[in-house]
Amino acid sequence: MSLWVDKYRPTSLVKLDYHKDQANHLKNLVQCGDFPHLLVYGPPGAGKKTRIMCLLRELYGPGVEKLRIEHQSITTPSRKKLEINTIASNYHLEVNPSDAGNSDRVVIQELIKTVAQSQQIQSSAQREFKVVLLTEVDRLTKDAQHALRRTMEKYMSTCRLILCCNSTSKVISPIRSRCLAVRVPLPSVEEVCSVLAGVCKKEGLLLPPELARQIAEKSGRNLRKALLMCEACRVQQYPFSPDQDIPVTDWEVYLRETANAIVSQQSPQRLLEVRARLYELLTHCIPPDVIMKGLVTELLSNCDGHLKAEVVQMAAYYEHRLQLGNKAIYHLEAFVAKFMAIYKKFMEDGLDNFMF
Amino acid sequence: MSKLSLRGKQSSGKINNWVEPSFGELLGGVNRTLKKGPLSGESKTNRWPSTGDQTEKQSRKRKVDPHVSNNQISVPSEAYKLDQDEPWVDLHAPQSQAELAVHKKKIEEVESWLRVHLDKSKKGGAILLLTGPSGCGKTATVQVLAKDLGFHIQEWSNPSTTSQYKMEDLFTQSFDPDSRFNSFHGSSQTGLFQEFLLRANKYNRLQMSGEKLTEDRKIILIEEFPNQFYRQPVCLHDILRQFIKTSRCPLVLIVSDSLSGDKNSRHLFKDVLHELEIHNISFNPVAPTSMMKVLSRIVTIEVGKSSGRISVPDKAALDLLCSGSSGDIRSAINSLQFSSFTDKSLERRLWASKKGKSSSAKPAVRAKGRSKSSKSTDMQVESPAIGGKDASLFLFRALGKILYCKRESYDSSQAPKLPPHLTDHQRDKLLVDPELVIERSHMSGEFFNLYLHQNYPDFFTDVEDIARTSEYLSDADFLTAEWSSRSTMLEYGSSVATRGLMHSNSSRAKANCQSTTGFKPLHKPHWLHINKTYRENYLTAQSLFLNFCLTPVSLLTELVPYLAKLTNPMRNQAQIAFIQNVGHISQKRDPGRLRLEALGDKDSGILDADSENEETSAAQHLEPSTTPGNATTESNLSNSQDPPGELSASQPQPASSEALLDEEDLLIEDYDSD
Repeated sequence: MSLWVDKYRPTSLVKLDYHKDQANHLKNLVQCGDFPHLLVYGPPGAGKKTRIMCLLRELYGPGVEKLRIEHQSITTPSRKKLEINTIASNYHLEVNPSDAGNSDRVVIQELIKTVAQSQQIQSSAQREFKVVLLTEVDRLTKDAQHALRRTMEKYMSTCRLILCCNSTSKVISPIRSRCLAVRVPLPSVEEVCSVLAGVCKKEGLLLPPELARQIAEKSGRNLRKALLMCEACRVQQYPFSPDQDIPVTDWEVYLRETANAIVSQQSPQRLLEVRARLYELLTHCIPPDVIMKGLVTELLSNCDGHLKAEVVQMAAYYEHRLQLGNKAIYHLEAFVAKFMAIYKKFMEDGLDNFMF
Repeated sequence: MSKLSLRGKQSSGKINNWVEPSFGELLGGVNRTLKKGPLSGESKTNRWPSTGDQTEKQSRKRKVDPHVSNNQISVPSEAYKLDQDEPWVDLHAPQSQAELAVHKKKIEEVESWLRVHLDKSKKGGAILLLTGPSGCGKTATVQVLAKDLGFHIQEWSNPSTTSQYKMEDLFTQSFDPDSRFNSFHGSSQTGLFQEFLLRANKYNRLQMSGEKLTEDRKIILIEEFPNQFYRQPVCLHDILRQFIKTSRCPLVLIVSDSLSGDKNSRHLFKDVLHELEIHNISFNPVAPTSMMKVLSRIVTIEVGKSSGRISVPDKAALDLLCSGSSGDIRSAINSLQFSSFTDKSLERRLWASKKGKSSSAKPAVRAKGRSKSSKSTDMQVESPAIGGKDASLFLFRALGKILYCKRESYDSSQAPKLPPHLTDHQRDKLLVDPELVIERSHMSGEFFNLYLHQNYPDFFTDVEDIARTSEYLSDADFLTAEWSSRSTMLEYGSSVATRGLMHSNSSRAKANCQSTTGFKPLHKPHWLHINKTYRENYLTAQSLFLNFCLTPVSLLTELVPYLAKLTNPMRNQAQIAFIQNVGHISQKRDPGRLRLEALGDKDSGILDADSENEETSAAQHLEPSTTPGNATTESNLSNSQDPPGELSASQPQPASSEALLDEEDLLIEDYDSD
């Protein structure tokens, strides 16, 4: 029994549930023969990967779904060995180069070179190019992105790239201009609801529309999350009730409590407690920027309108630091401490005004 | 023999001698015992392996002109000349408790321990561990006490050369017919060490005719350990365990604090300190006053003996020596001796060249000769250069200096005032120089910042202040973010962090509001561990859930946490375990679950790691620091002696044991010490 997310993932462009126009465009794109590099971007859970896989299937047929996991080891010029996991079919290769950290440039160059240099065996039956799918392009170092630019041009004849990322803001413009950009927006609440309903129907379950709507809203229109939530609801209680509690992940609850702890008391001791909680989140593999974002959202909902602008500005400042700096905890903690200071001052001022 | 030629010899002998004290650690012990013979009439130390004497002679021959050494034994009338060749450290080795530069309480502590355990009626062995920085009088104390209490010392010394191994074989053969069989494996240092303990324990010294019969009490003294034990402490522990069971006389271990890194021999005993009931007495560096006393005593004796050939360093010069030696009396005496011989050509050359570099403005004064005033100015420039020991701080103290940020009050009249809108930032003068502290802590600024970050909130009371500090720490990290400029920016980063931290603490702005907070325990930073776990889990997740084809972020924030909520079969064992570990965060769990690791005052820090391979080196370096419990007890022990709240800048600083070593360096060091 696999997850609903995987089980009911559409496998061809015609079967997609939403953004059908875009699906048609992609279909036409493939059929007219020439196929440029693609840059697929959009928020998580919008269906980028699903679309890409559908596209590949359209290109090469069902053979693309025979995936195998390969462990490749690459030696950098500085004799450092890198282990990279790739997912490949006969026609395409998927790799997440940001796994390699600072040496992603080498990974990109080596992998694309090996793929591009080997010709397709039966070029009559298939397309004359292979596809390299790079995920998380926005996490690539600038170095790697520049290397990618060169590689893209060089191997254009034998290899097409599909780049996948959340936001193009971190992709350098030379790459953006070399690719056909395809934005995959989030599905609307209604679309999420209909997908949920469809999945539940196939599972033989009855999903009350209210619950579906609630899940859709709570998931932030992230379809993957919505489906996972729905499945968790199913585990929690079966005949669904319309006003059922929707299970939230532990870390989100934990983060909310952390935010509450910050709001309820501002003192050095509390800062230490918050630090311990942040560490706890980090050990559970919640990335620092996600923590930051979650904290800000929770804190904003807790604080007065006057403070919001300042808090957000601070959050932006430290989020930036977080991206540039080495040790996330400094910046997370600086944000928390700063918020404490501002909040405390605000509360004390408010108290003073109240007194007089 | 003309007088001229004699002097030539003499000075050549002296050159050798001047070189010698730098190897004090190596040869000092050997020298000391040899010297004591003629001085005290009988040798009390009984060395084993017995070839020790051979080595002494050999090494002696190597370093000193044989002519001179012959003189020494055969012609006692030339005592003065000989004395001149002798390091003053040995010449003026303390003969009584009064002469020891160690604190009285410490001597008493050691003495009472020895008294108790030398008592014949008591069964079983006991082990005393003396620790402290080098040159603080550990060995001297034991030797003086040996004299006072009337026991003799049987000392282990590492056999060091191959020739000695042969000697050793001869020796054992002559006593033990079976030894022919064990001579091969028996010649490993470990084996010899074990055998030494056994024999030293079992047999008394042979009574030579003419010796007093009263001295049947003895202790076993171990100052150096076979290198093998540093690699396999367990081996030593086993030997000690066995010793404890069977022994009849107390064993004294002397360990210097100043061995580098985690090869520190203190770590040898960490694990068994409680199990074997090892009594640990930790010595402090020699206090300036008692060192002053010793130095002036030596000076007066030497001046009396030398009849004017030795120039007398004045008080200021002695003060300088004291402070320059950072509590190491051996080094202080050596540099005193060195700086006292003024009328030798070699030394003039040496000084002149140094002079030329350091201050070219004073050649006229130099040339005029050695009037006293010029002497003292010279001393001020030179003596740190000659005999000065690198002052360094243990991490614990370095952190204390920054976190407690002592300030000195201005005279209110002449203090510069800030304009009214900036009065918040008015601070008294700092007593410490943050950059110097970092330099002496022997850590990279990055790691020092981590330590500061771990510990600073305890020292603050105001949230406003803490927000400013955290901002400075964030700045410091940001400064070093750029990889290419990091080496330069590291210093600035740590400077920003330390100074920012000290300035932000407004509750410690004035000199007089310092003592409000008592002692706060310091802890080791969590970050490296956290970061390591984070990366590990990250990678594990990716490899375990590879077939989901998800980006790591959505994998870890969406899929894994929900998988934890689903009862979905078809997962293998590893995946289930991972989901249990990472997907679940227990809400009730105490946020302080992370065990705080106290930082002992002698602990060395986590070693340097390049950011590129941070995770790997962090992994390596965290291992030694994860031995549970010991750090806490150790810090308790030593804290009771000198609470860092009482730190004052005038106190001598102990030599530190930290070194920034890569794995490679450590390996090299291993081989060197063989």
